[in-house]
Amino acid sequence: MTRNLFDEPMRRRELLQGGAGLALALGLAGCGVGEEGATSDKKQTERVVKAEPDGDLVYFNWSQYMEPKLIKAFEKRYGVKVRESNFDSMQGMMAKLRSGNRYDVIFPSSEWVDRLRKANQLLRIDPEQVPNASTVYDYFAKPWYDPQADHTIPYALYATGIIYRKDKVEMTGSWNDIGLDTARGRAYLLDDYQEVLGAGNLVNGAELNETDEAAVAKAKQWALDLKPTLRGFSTEDVTNMVNGNAWVHHGWNGDVVNIRNQVKRPENYSFVKCSEGIPLGTDCFAIPANAEHPGTALTFINFILDPENASKNIEYMGYPMPYEGPDATFAALVKDDPEIDVTIEDLENGQQFANLGAAGRRTWDRAWTEIKAA
Amino acid sequence: MTDADRFAGRFLIPGGLWLLIFFAIPFVIVIALSFGTPGELGGAVYGWYPENYSRAFDPIFVPVLARSVGYAVATVALCLLLGYPVAYYIALFGGRRKHLLIALVVLPFFVNYLVRTYAWAALLSDEGIVNGALGLNEPIRFLNTPWAVIGGLVYGYLAFMILPVYAALDRMDPALIEAGKDLYGSNWSTFWHVTWPTTFQGVLAGTVLVFLPAVGDFVSAQLLGGPGTYMVGNLIQQQFFGAENWPFGAALTVLMMAFLFVWMVLYLRSAARAAREATA
Repeated sequence: MTRNLFDEPMRRRELLQGGAGLALALGLAGCGVGEEGATSDKKQTERVVKAEPDGDLVYFNWSQYMEPKLIKAFEKRYGVKVRESNFDSMQGMMAKLRSGNRYDVIFPSSEWVDRLRKANQLLRIDPEQVPNASTVYDYFAKPWYDPQADHTIPYALYATGIIYRKDKVEMTGSWNDIGLDTARGRAYLLDDYQEVLGAGNLVNGAELNETDEAAVAKAKQWALDLKPTLRGFSTEDVTNMVNGNAWVHHGWNGDVVNIRNQVKRPENYSFVKCSEGIPLGTDCFAIPANAEHPGTALTFINFILDPENASKNIEYMGYPMPYEGPDATFAALVKDDPEIDVTIEDLENGQQFANLGAAGRRTWDRAWTEIKAA
Repeated sequence: MTDADRFAGRFLIPGGLWLLIFFAIPFVIVIALSFGTPGELGGAVYGWYPENYSRAFDPIFVPVLARSVGYAVATVALCLLLGYPVAYYIALFGGRRKHLLIALVVLPFFVNYLVRTYAWAALLSDEGIVNGALGLNEPIRFLNTPWAVIGGLVYGYLAFMILPVYAALDRMDPALIEAGKDLYGSNWSTFWHVTWPTTFQGVLAGTVLVFLPAVGDFVSAQLLGGPGTYMVGNLIQQQFFGAENWPFGAALTVLMMAFLFVWMVLYLRSAARAAREATA
C-alpha cells in the first residue's frame, strides 16, 4: 500500500492546479485593473538599501521550499517575525504581485526575473549588503536574466530530465525514452508547456527556446506522437512515482530526492539527464520594488546564504543550491546516483529556459493547446 | 405598489447586493478581459481584440466541447440511475430516519470536492488501497481513464440529483400510488404512469443541477483523467495558469456561460409550463 496522499505536504513543483481555480476566482477581482500601471519608477528601484532589519519579513515562496527551522532561527536572532505565504505557480505569484500585494522577498524563476526586472519591479540588491553571496558560483556573475547580477541572488537549481523505475524499464538516456514500449500507459509528460515543447525542440536538434513556427510545429508533433503511450500530463511527478502509476516521468531532479524519502525501495528510483540536452532552471531570491522591509529582506538573504544554513536548507528541500561549500551537501545526498546532481559542467553544457517574448509565447501556447485538446 | 410589496421588496436587498458585488461586477471584468491581450507580466492589457472570440471557434476545440458534453450527459444518466432509487427509498420508506438519511447524503459535501477527488486518486491508483485489497498480480488501471473522470463527476454531483428528486417524491401524495394500484396497475406501470410523471420536474431540476457544473468541471479531469480526457474546464483553466492568456480564457468563459445559459432557459421554460399545467 502506498502512503496516503495527504501525509505529505505539497512540494515545490507539485502544483495543485485544482486549488488554483479558487486563487483565480479571488485574484480576478483584484487583478481587474490590468497591467498598464504595473511599471514602477526605475530610480526608485535603484536606491541603495542597507541590510538592517526594518520590520517583519513578508515572505512569499513555494510551500515546503525552505527549511522552517531556519526561518524560526532567523526570527529569534533578529527579533522580527516572518509572515509567510505561498504560491503554487509562477502565474499565481504574479497574480498576487499584480494586484498590489506587498512582499519583502519572493522567489521567481529566471524567466520571471527577466520579465520583472525589465518592468522595473525588482529592487536593486547591492552585493556589499550580502557578504555571504561570495560563495555563489562564478557562473552566476552575469546570468542572462540579470546581466549585472544586481537584482537577484540564485536560490536553487533544477534540471529537467526523466525520473524512472530502475526495476521496470531499461533506459537509453534519450528524451524518446518517455515513449518506451515497456512503460506504455505508465509514462507522463510534465503538464507545462515550456518543459514539453522545450524537450521537443531538444529532441529535434533545435535550441531549447526556439520559437520559429516550423520548429515549434515539429516539437508539437513529437509530443502528439508520444500522447498515445502516455498516462497523463502532470506536474505531480512525486505523487505519480510514489503511488506506482508512473514508471517513466518527465520531471525535475530534486523531486527524485523527495520520492526516495517516501518509498520502500529508494534504490529503484533514478533520474537521467537526457543526451539531446538538459533544460536548466534557476530560482532566485528577489525583492519587489514595493517591498516595505527591504532591509530585513537583505538580512534574511544573507542569513540563508550562510554556508551552514544553506547546507541545512539543501537537506530539507532536496534541491541543489549553487554555492561553493554547501554544494557538497547535495552531492553527498545523492552520492549513490550522481546523475541527480547539477554540476558546474551541467550549467555550462545545459540550456536555460529563457523569456520567449510575447510573440514566442503565443506560438508556444497555441502549439501546447493543440497538444492538450487533441 | 402596496405596503406589503414594498416590505417584500426589501428582502431582495441583501441577496441582490451580494450578487451585484460577487457576480455581476466580476462578470463585467471577465467580459472586459475577454477583449484584451496578454500582458508582459502574465496579466491582461485591456483593448479591443475580438479575435479572442473567433479563435474559440477553431475546429481543434470541437472534440474538447464534444467530450465535455458527453461526459456530462453520462454523469447525468448515472446520477439518475443511482440517485432516483436512493431518493425513492428515503422519501417513501425512510420513515422516522428520513432526515437522518438525507443528512447522510449531504454529509460528504462537508468535505471540499477537491479533497474528495484527491482521496479518489489515492484509493484508485495502481498501488492504491483498492488495488491493494484486490491483490491481483497486475493492478487494474482505474485512474487516468474517461471512466475515472465520469466516476469522479458522478461522485461529486450525485447529491444534486438526489435532493430535488427526493423533494419531488416527498411532496407527492402517497395516495396517488394507492390509486394507481386500485386501478389494477402493476408496481411497474404505477411507477411509470403515476410516480415518474409526478416527479419529472424534480428529475429535470436534478438533471440541470448536475449537467451544468459537470460540463464545466475541470477538477475531475485534472486529477483523475488521462492525456485524452481534456474538458472545456481544463482548457479554460489552462489559459489562465499555463498559457498566461487571460483574455482567451475569459472569452472561453463568456462563451461557456452563454452555452450553459441556453440550457438554463430551456429548463426554466419547461418548469414554468409545468407549473401552469399543474394549476390549470
